[in-house]
Amino acid sequence: MQRPCGTFDETYGQDTAVIRTRAQWGLVIAGLIWLLTVPLYGGDYVLGLINHISILIIAVLGLQITTGYCGLVSFGQAAFMAVGAYTSAILTLNGLPFWLALPLAGLAAGLIGLIGGAPSLRVKGFYLALATLAVHYVIMYLIMHLSITGATAGLHPPPPRIGNFVFSSDKTMFYIIVPLMLLMTYFAKNLARTKLGRAFVAIRDNDLAAKVMGINLYYYKLLAFFIGCFFAGIAGSLLGHWWHVVAPEQFTIVQSLMYVGMIIVGGLGSIAGVFFGVISLRLLDEAVFLAAPSLSAAFPQLAMDIAAPLSGVVFGLVIILFLIFEPRGLAHRWEIFKTSYRLYPFSY
Amino acid sequence: MTELLQYVVTGLMTGGLYAMVGLSIVLVYKATEVVSLAHGELLGFGALFFWLFFVALGLPLWLSILVMLACSALLGFIIERFAMRPLIGQSLFSAFFMTVAVYLMLDGIFALILKGGAVGWPAFLPAGNIYPGGIRIPLTSLATLGICLSLFGILAAFFKYTKIGLGMRATAEDHQLSQSAGINVKWVFLVIWAISAMAASIAGVSAGNIMAVHYYLPFFILMKGLVAALFGGLDSIPGVLLGGLILGAAESVAAGYLDPIVGGGVQEVAAFVFLLVILIVRPYGLFGLVRIERI
Repeated sequence: MQRPCGTFDETYGQDTAVIRTRAQWGLVIAGLIWLLTVPLYGGDYVLGLINHISILIIAVLGLQITTGYCGLVSFGQAAFMAVGAYTSAILTLNGLPFWLALPLAGLAAGLIGLIGGAPSLRVKGFYLALATLAVHYVIMYLIMHLSITGATAGLHPPPPRIGNFVFSSDKTMFYIIVPLMLLMTYFAKNLARTKLGRAFVAIRDNDLAAKVMGINLYYYKLLAFFIGCFFAGIAGSLLGHWWHVVAPEQFTIVQSLMYVGMIIVGGLGSIAGVFFGVISLRLLDEAVFLAAPSLSAAFPQLAMDIAAPLSGVVFGLVIILFLIFEPRGLAHRWEIFKTSYRLYPFSY
Repeated sequence: MTELLQYVVTGLMTGGLYAMVGLSIVLVYKATEVVSLAHGELLGFGALFFWLFFVALGLPLWLSILVMLACSALLGFIIERFAMRPLIGQSLFSAFFMTVAVYLMLDGIFALILKGGAVGWPAFLPAGNIYPGGIRIPLTSLATLGICLSLFGILAAFFKYTKIGLGMRATAEDHQLSQSAGINVKWVFLVIWAISAMAASIAGVSAGNIMAVHYYLPFFILMKGLVAALFGGLDSIPGVLLGGLILGAAESVAAGYLDPIVGGGVQEVAAFVFLLVILIVRPYGLFGLVRIERI
């Protein structure tokens, strides 16, 4: 990484640090303070948006580990979220506290992910994408046809609570979701720099070469799926307990495709890219939903709810443009910006 | 026994439909090595174009079919030229996800045009049933199977006897070699997208003859077509025909015997279970080329 002039590493700790300079520390602390004080003045709309973005970030971080780092394309992330959401809902409805159900939901999604990721031992690339799409479909079929999951009607998990304090509003859930998102980000960011993360990257770049170097492909590919689906399970559980409802239509195939689209727009193999991708696409989606009523009014012959199809059109168009003009995603643009900012006013 | 035969025969009729969609995917894969999901929506748009010309504008049948084919070919042209061509030389995953993005975009437009409803047209294929050996065969389905088989026949002849068809087979073997042999590879890509779009649109119209054209139609038939193509082997045209027919029969039998036990929906999920089994047991399909990887 290119660093500001005059920044040297004197200890091993400095060499491995993620946040390197005082200015970066200041920005991080200011950003955290800003984020955690939003509920003091933000309305329910803003809080709901931040909650949703945070949950999506957790799910897409998992996908980034599976797809971006390990190169195993997964079109089933939404279904693994559903596994987490349903596990957590069933456990809490049977009297288990949320705080125990949350990690169990992650584990359950991870274990199902091991089964769903099993085809990765045999096929890769496009074939694997199709296999995970099939897994997505089979999982959603089971959820819609088993009695324990409430079939198409879904379940209504209770809100989390500590003693008598109930986390039922957007504002209270904010203080569960956002710290968890930060924790998962910290975990994902560091994971990418460990032996495990480097093994994932080696597998992504060339799995045969990685095998020759002594990386156990079976173990690491399944582990990539386990970790990615663990993230999805946590995200699903949070979503269910925040909305107080878990239903099959929250976890569609289009959602799964959109998560892959988010890491493409953000940048494959970059944790910052997850943030860029999720935030920009979620805000774009929100803009479409805000603009849709006035568009409906302008074109009354459409005479329907055009928001959902329109967001599909816009989303597809954005992905097409990114694939053509910036296949490395917004994270790459951000690196370019940082470099030129540091070198300013020199152009080299 | 009659019951089983009935399920198999009904399945074979639908299987022809899957084989046509699979064919359009195989055509693109053979020439460009990209698996296209966009053909699901090309299918949907084929049906929409046909409905537009045949019902909404009231053109005669032969003219609507011709104009429908022309419009679909144009759509295929546009997708190739503006979405797929800039990605030549990029990773295959980018190209694959490009087709997904095109699919999502066209899917939204499809839903906007349908306005949450469905379109259909008056039957123009022969109606009624025939009963050879106590098995009911609807004539419409039989005609669909006939269309499918003749489509395969026409394309086989096209690849065998025309010059551009020969060029396409050469391109499928090796892009650079055929370029240096004087074949315009870019033109081949364009034409193959147009042809496969036409094949997909014929599948769309055939599907519309049997059922109403609603929002979920493209996705479901696309998935079945993909499974058919994978089962037969992604680069084998006879394979996809066989794959489609077997898939149709298998899921019809599975639905016939399992639906009463688990309570419906087996036909939709059977194809996906089938897909998982294929991918784990024999990823390159029945007749596909086994690729050996080197570092």
